This record gives sequence, structure tokens and C-alpha cells, in this order.
Amino acid sequence: MNDTTRDTTHDLPIEAAAHSVPHSSRLLLLGVNHTTAPIAVRERLAIPGHRLADATRTLADQPGIREALILSTCNRVEILTVQDGVDQEHAELRAGLQAPTLSVIKFLHDYLQIRETDLEPHVYEYRERDAIRHLFRVASSLDSMVVGEPQILGQVKQSWTVGREVGAVKTMLDPLLQRAFSVAKKVRTETQIGNTTVSVASVAAELARKIFGSLSGKTVLLVGAGKMSDLTARHLIQQGATTLLVANRTEAKAQSIADALRTPAITTGVIPLDQLHEQAHRADIVITSTGAGQVFTPESARAVLQRRKNRPVFFIDIAVPRDVAPEVNKVDGCFVYDIDDLQQVAMQNKAVRNREAEAAESIVTREVARYTDRISQAPVTESIKELLLSAEEVRQHEIARTLHQLAGQPLTAEQLSAIERLTKSLTGKLLHPQIAALRELAAERESDDQA
Amino acid sequence: MTLLWLRLAVILYGVAALAVLPAALYNRPRWRHIAVPAAFLGAFFHFVSIAETLYAAHRALPVDTHETLSMLGLLLVVGFLILAARYRTVSFGIFLLPIAVLLAIVPAFHPGHEEISYPLVRTGWILLHIALLLAAYAAMFLSLIASLLYLIQERRLKEKRAESQRGWLPPLETLDQIGLNSLRFGLPCMTAGLLIGSVLALQSIGPAFFADPKVLLSIAMWIAYILMIYIRSNSGLRGRRAVYLSSFVFLVMVAVWAANSLSAVHRFKTP
Repeated sequence: MNDTTRDTTHDLPIEAAAHSVPHSSRLLLLGVNHTTAPIAVRERLAIPGHRLADATRTLADQPGIREALILSTCNRVEILTVQDGVDQEHAELRAGLQAPTLSVIKFLHDYLQIRETDLEPHVYEYRERDAIRHLFRVASSLDSMVVGEPQILGQVKQSWTVGREVGAVKTMLDPLLQRAFSVAKKVRTETQIGNTTVSVASVAAELARKIFGSLSGKTVLLVGAGKMSDLTARHLIQQGATTLLVANRTEAKAQSIADALRTPAITTGVIPLDQLHEQAHRADIVITSTGAGQVFTPESARAVLQRRKNRPVFFIDIAVPRDVAPEVNKVDGCFVYDIDDLQQVAMQNKAVRNREAEAAESIVTREVARYTDRISQAPVTESIKELLLSAEEVRQHEIARTLHQLAGQPLTAEQLSAIERLTKSLTGKLLHPQIAALRELAAERESDDQA
Repeated sequence: MTLLWLRLAVILYGVAALAVLPAALYNRPRWRHIAVPAAFLGAFFHFVSIAETLYAAHRALPVDTHETLSMLGLLLVVGFLILAARYRTVSFGIFLLPIAVLLAIVPAFHPGHEEISYPLVRTGWILLHIALLLAAYAAMFLSLIASLLYLIQERRLKEKRAESQRGWLPPLETLDQIGLNSLRFGLPCMTAGLLIGSVLALQSIGPAFFADPKVLLSIAMWIAYILMIYIRSNSGLRGRRAVYLSSFVFLVMVAVWAANSLSAVHRFKTP
């Protein structure tokens, strides 16, 4: 705040207050992501976790950069900076890039040895309100390859933590990032964007959870070997299944799969294929991918259920032709999903995500407007406070001076109260047009920035 | 004041019953933060109201129809809160909370004035008899709802609808556990409640007690209850058949309740 505003002379500090509205810092976001750059470019730009602190510190030390944050994931590398303001008319233009952009490009060139010409076709650039909007969208997973995936928020938080630790995230980026986190949380709680799974393996795991609740302690039986069935089994193990049984035409292959998936927490075993029906009751989830056809019929499924005392069994049939007769699904306690069923659920879930993404975009738009309004109003509010404080000091000073002059003639309480009312009313009326002018000025600047 | 607390409880149950719909059916977790606290507060005011009523009447148990229904409503809400805390599900509220509203709304807005002249109403044993049997009824009702929800969830999963995956219902195994655990909780309550009632009735009425239709129905209910738990525990009965069995036992329970009007024992008259 300019010192003039604290002056207790009779000058009213409107000009100083108006100049205190910070118009000199610029928010700039530069980045590449999976839609703008091939992996060959992204991998050159990627900054591994152990180098993130050093890179952020180096970036923040660049001339003209006040605050900085680097987000580096497998799908995106983004650099968010707060820079000293550069007047649009006087911006140094080179190769279509403005000075603030150049300082970031220069950092990338120096730090990662990437030429400007290699980057230029892939880089996107957002400023001010657009940068805020982009950040909110990224944190809310609206800009992700798989919309709604939850990892990105953790990655942004990681970058924020590093930025704070190295002193690169300060008074402007810190509240902005915290706001981004709360917007992301709002999007998650007010929409169903993250409530659905969109890959076949994750749909299968989600369905298993709808049948069994927790998968902890559950047994998965893998019948046959295949890429998709292997992936599904791994997914179920990740979700908590603790025992894996493998049945395959060649026992050696079954053994190698079992060995590959065994960990201290996972028990694995091999079942000879000819004993499959005798042993199948041990499994809660059966993944089949032999393609031999009719491995499980309603009769054999009923026998399995009987041995399990009617505890449900979930058949995931990835084989073509199908290993599990469709009629098995009609048996009480048996749930059969073939590859088409799983893909159909995944597609329906994708449609739900897209629908929810629209609702999420509205939340982001609303939150961007709210945030920019708040930051544009904050300096004005501060200036008005200073103005009122200054006027109050003048008023108190003048009252004290007058009372001192009247020292020989003490005033009554009513008279003192009348003086208080009169002086307060005078200052209020005098300040009103100035405060209104300040607010108007801030509004004009806001619309200029938007334009 | 008693009525005021009860009316407040009914309003809060109403709020909870409405809030639970978006929370459970539309997967809007924010509404859960309204439904559960509203139900909790409602239960608290309901308890205060019942306690004040009984204190004012110089007795320790609900005996008239309205008081008993109101107490059952309170137990159902307590059941809902336990399930919400233990299993993180508010789905049961869709059924339990409106029923609690219905059970409490009549005594709240049209209070009855039944004159109670039973000689035993001020003894602690009668209190236990009634409280235990009401708990058994509430447990049975919970179990029936769990079985019905199991059936709905099973159908949705078999129909392979995407909604079954992100739907409002708890997993099948959770529903099964809730159903069985409710029954297991209800059995000792019912056994002890019936035993206490029998001893008290024998003391005041004598052997003629066993000819009472309510008593005969109560014994039938108890046997059906035990059979149901035995079958469910040993054969793993689930789904449609579990619903049939639960519905049958529930009907027997309703019959026992209705038999109050035919019973000489519950009027404390010798037949």
C-alpha cells in the first residue's frame, strides 16, 4: 500500500488508493498435454519427481518471475507463473511470443535443452482468467485423457507442496491453488463424474464389489490364459482379492501365471483343468477365457453353488465363444457377465461421465467468475478500508484539537455526542463519491482485463 | 412440551425421509449430511418426548397403542442410524424413515387419551417385556427390508444395467449380513420378551394363559423366527426365497400384534 494513504493530512488519498490496485502482476500458464503433443515431445519435457523441487526453484529464480509452479505428469507438463506486469503495447514480441512467455520458454531451453522451435507447435498458453479456468479444469480432471480420473488432483497437490517448500508458491498462487482444490472437490461431490468406471477390468472389479462388498479375502479363479483375463485378475487383486487359483490346459503355463501374480499378500495355487468343477466352489469370482465353449452350464453352476451353501459366484466370461452358458445367469446366486456385457456397462458409464462433465464445466465457470470477482474486489476493499481509516484519524485529530481550544469551557455529554454525529456525517458524505469512484475504477479495470 | 418435542421429532424425521431420497437414489452425498443428523436429532427429541410422557404418567413403559407405535418408530430410526454408522448406507432410510413418520405422526398431532388401569404397568419387568418385543419387531422389519433390497439389487445385477454398478443399494453381501444380523439380534430379544411376559401372565392369570390366542400366535411366531434363522444360517438361503420366508414371519408378527384386541391376557382379564 502506498504511504500516501496513511497520511493524516487533509489530502484525501484517492489517487494513491487507486494506484494500489495491483495491475502489475500477470498470471501465465504454458503447457503441453496429450492432445497437443506426442509422447516424444512430452517425455522430453517431463520433469521427474526428484527433480521437481530444483526445477521449480530454478524457474522461480528467472528474472521477472515472482511465483511459479510446475505440473509434470505422463499426460501433461504445465508451467504456471506469476510475472511482473508487462504492458501489452510495450511487450517485446518475438516469433509471435510475448516477453512473459519467452522467459518460460527460455527456462525450458536452459533447463531441459529443448529448442524453442521444437516446442512452439505444441505449446498452449493461457493468461489471467483463462489460466485460472484451465487450472480449475485440470484439477477437476476435466482436461484429463480419462475425464474424471482421480489421480490428477493428487499430482497438482504434489506440485503445490513442492512449490511451497521451495518458496515458489506464495501470496498469489497459494490461494489460487487452494481454490482449485476446493473446486475439484466440489465437482467430485456435486457430480457423478468420478463415480463410474470406464475400462472393462475396472467395470468387472466394480461389479464384484457390488456383489461382495469388500474384495478382501475373496478368491479369484482364472480359467485359461489371456491378456484381458490376466489384466482383470490383476485388477481384482489390486482391489483386495487375496487368493488366486489358476486352471489351464497346460499346467506349466498355469504355474507360471500363478508364480507371476504371487506376492507375500497373495496366495496362489494351480488347479488341474480336469478337476475344475470339483474345485470351482472355492472361488468367489471366476474369470474364464478358454474359448472352449460351455465350461460352465446351469447344472454345473448349481453344483458349485450348492457346495458354497448358496454364497454368490461372479462369472466373468471373457472368452469368445463364451465359456459360461448364458442360462447360468438365471441361476439364483450366479452372476454372469461376458465381454459384451462388460463393454456395454463401460460405454454407458462413459456416457454418464460425459453428461456429468457438462455439469462440472458449469461449476468451473461459476467458480472462475467468483474467484476473479473476489480478487478484483480485494484491493479495492483494502483501499476503501485505508481511506476510511485515514479519514477517521483526521476526524479524531480535529475533534481533539477543537476540544483542546475549548479547554476552559467543558462541553456536556449531549454536546459531545452532537459533535461526534456531525463529524461522522460530514466525513461519510465527503467520502461517498470517492469510494464510489474507486469501485467504478476497479470495475473498469476488470472489464479491460477481460477484453 | 411433550407434544412439542414429538412434533419436532416428526418434522425432523420428515426432513430426513426427504433428504435420504437424493442421498440414496441419486447418489448425492451432500444430502446424507442432512438426512443422518436430522434423523439423529429427531430420535433425540422423540426419546425426550417419550420419557416426559412416561414420567408424567408415573410409569416407565408405553402401554397405549399410540405410545407403543411411537416407540416402535423410534426403534426403527435407531436401526437406521446404526446401519448408517456401521455399513455406511442410508438406503434403508427410504423405507424406515417414512414408516417412522407414520408411526409418530398420529400420537404427535392427534394424541389419544386411553385410560390405562393395568395393575402391572408400573413394574420394571413389563417394561422389559415390551421393550424387548418391540426391539424384536424392529429387527424383524429391518431383516425383511434387507431381504427386499437384496432381491432388487440381485435383479439389477442380473439385468446387467449400468445403474446397478453406481446405484444406491449396498452390495449383496452387506445386505445379507444386515438381514441375518438383524435376525440374530432379534431372537434373544424375542425369547426374553416372551419369557418375561409368560411368567408375568402365569402369575396374574394362571394356566388359562396358554389358551389365549395371542399367546398361541406368539409361540408360533417364536418357532417361525427360530426356523428362519436356522434355515438362513445353514442353507445360505438368499434372494427370493429369503424374502418369502421373511414375509411369512413378518405376517405372523403382524397377526400377533393384531391379536392384542382378541387377547384376554393383554387386557388383564381372566378368560
